[in-house]
Amino acid sequence: MSEITAPMGGKVIDVKVKVGDSINDGDEVLILEAMKMELPVVATDSGSVKEIKCKKGDAVEADSVLIVLG
Amino acid sequence: MNIEEKIKELEERNRLAELGGGKARIDDQHAKGKMTARERIEYLLDKGSFQEIDKFVVHRCHDFGMGKKKIPGDGVVTGFGTIHGRRVFLFSQDFTVFGGSLSGPFGEKVCKIMDLALKNGAPMIGLNDSGGARIQEGIVSLGSYGEIFKRNVLASGVIPQISVIMGPCAGGAVYSPALTDFTIMVKKTSNMFITGPQVIKAVTSEEVSPEQLGGAMTHNTRSGVAQFAEDSDQAALERVKEILSYLPQNYREKPPVAECTDDPNRTDKSLNKVVPTNPKLPYDIKDIIHNVLDDGRFLEIHRHYAMNMVIGFGRLNGYPVGVVANQPRFLAGCLDINASMKCARFVRLCDCFNIPLVTFVDVPGFLPGVNQEYGGIIKHGAKIIYAYCEATVPKITVITRKAYGGAYDVMSSKHHGGDINYAYPTAEIAVMGPEGAVNIVFKKEIDTAEDKVGTRNRLIEEYRSNFASPFKAAELGYIDGIIFPENTRPRLIDALMMLKDKKDSIPSRRHGNIPL
Repeated sequence: MSEITAPMGGKVIDVKVKVGDSINDGDEVLILEAMKMELPVVATDSGSVKEIKCKKGDAVEADSVLIVLG
Repeated sequence: MNIEEKIKELEERNRLAELGGGKARIDDQHAKGKMTARERIEYLLDKGSFQEIDKFVVHRCHDFGMGKKKIPGDGVVTGFGTIHGRRVFLFSQDFTVFGGSLSGPFGEKVCKIMDLALKNGAPMIGLNDSGGARIQEGIVSLGSYGEIFKRNVLASGVIPQISVIMGPCAGGAVYSPALTDFTIMVKKTSNMFITGPQVIKAVTSEEVSPEQLGGAMTHNTRSGVAQFAEDSDQAALERVKEILSYLPQNYREKPPVAECTDDPNRTDKSLNKVVPTNPKLPYDIKDIIHNVLDDGRFLEIHRHYAMNMVIGFGRLNGYPVGVVANQPRFLAGCLDINASMKCARFVRLCDCFNIPLVTFVDVPGFLPGVNQEYGGIIKHGAKIIYAYCEATVPKITVITRKAYGGAYDVMSSKHHGGDINYAYPTAEIAVMGPEGAVNIVFKKEIDTAEDKVGTRNRLIEEYRSNFASPFKAAELGYIDGIIFPENTRPRLIDALMMLKDKKDSIPSRRHGNIPL
């Protein structure tokens, strides 16, 4: 089990995966808006999406868990 | 004994010495996927170039029954040879002999070869695979480590020093690699830590495996202690050769120029599209780096650590350069504590060894946050300033997009000694982003306006077109020119060739006081 966390504080503007999707190391899983830029958040592990802990429009803190992989 | 018998005896002693701790232990080493100390030397150096010294040195310990157990070489193979025809000195710790543990004589062998490297001005390579201090030696082993560390420091910036961690490296032993210029680790079979998992568990009850605590990826991602994580002994040794190809033998020499088979005038229209028109979109700065360097070859250093900053070696027109670049894909390219340290150390390394610096800038600022402030971003950011201002090697800067606030200054600006500073037409060089600036400068106008939102938006657009561009900086001479991205390579090479024989100095002193 591993977690994808927010690299910095910002706003979630797009979630690109849904529960059950299989993803690989390097896949873009969501877009975070921070420092006036739309930043891709990439997976650093492979696995399947177990839980999505955020939704479009949420403000998230740095290091907060966004997606849980199983 | 006649001469033939004496020769036979020598040959036999040589053969035994080369077996180290014996066949069974050699097989153990292989079973773990590791090469032996001598196999590593054979692989690393030019064939037949290795001259071993101190092959028959043995330990002098009488305590704990050690008097009966002497193995020639005493756990380390030392000597000199060549890599691609260039002189190098090395030690290779032998895990098959007393677990590669360090004794007085082992330390003396290492110090002897380090002294030779320093006096003869050639790189020193350490292949580490050791259980640490040989407990039976008592504090003699500590004294030996101390002598080694001192030599690492005295050689620092004089000759390149490269450490390869190819097995355990624990306790005091880790300080030697930490003092050297590069630390390369082999995944899964190597680790480094001051106190190991057992002691940690006993003292703090934390449970952690050796790989998690101090394996290659831990040190390449979390601590930043190592700059490379390789898949095998062989890959790690290839990496040593690759690094050395960009470095001079010592600080008095220029780095070696290679033949350039890539047209120095090569332009590429695709570079015009790398920076997106939409300023909110990130891009990969490595697309530019790979495009402009000779043959697209870029030896990225510290790839897994502080990924918002990219550093590494490449060549332009055959001449080695040190590349530094903000990476917009990570943390929006912001500078933070780790990126500051990564950048500053690399800039100083290049300055040690006469390697010109090429810096690509796209930085919106320093990363805001309580953790950064408490962590001392103030002093860590200052390291970048110190490194660039101190460096007297040629410094060429290209601002590709953002250069805001203090970050504009620290990233190799003209004010910090940039010799040639260029900007792309997409550059935004300003004290602050338009939104922030307008909020401050036009606060009264916005507050008293009928249509606050409309007024604000109009002012933001005006500010953006007047200030978020390279032209104000160009008018001030803060940049030397605005270049078309497609011409980046020829413009960099022109600048580099012009600066080839640059001579500059800083006021003399015992040494500066870089914020640490």
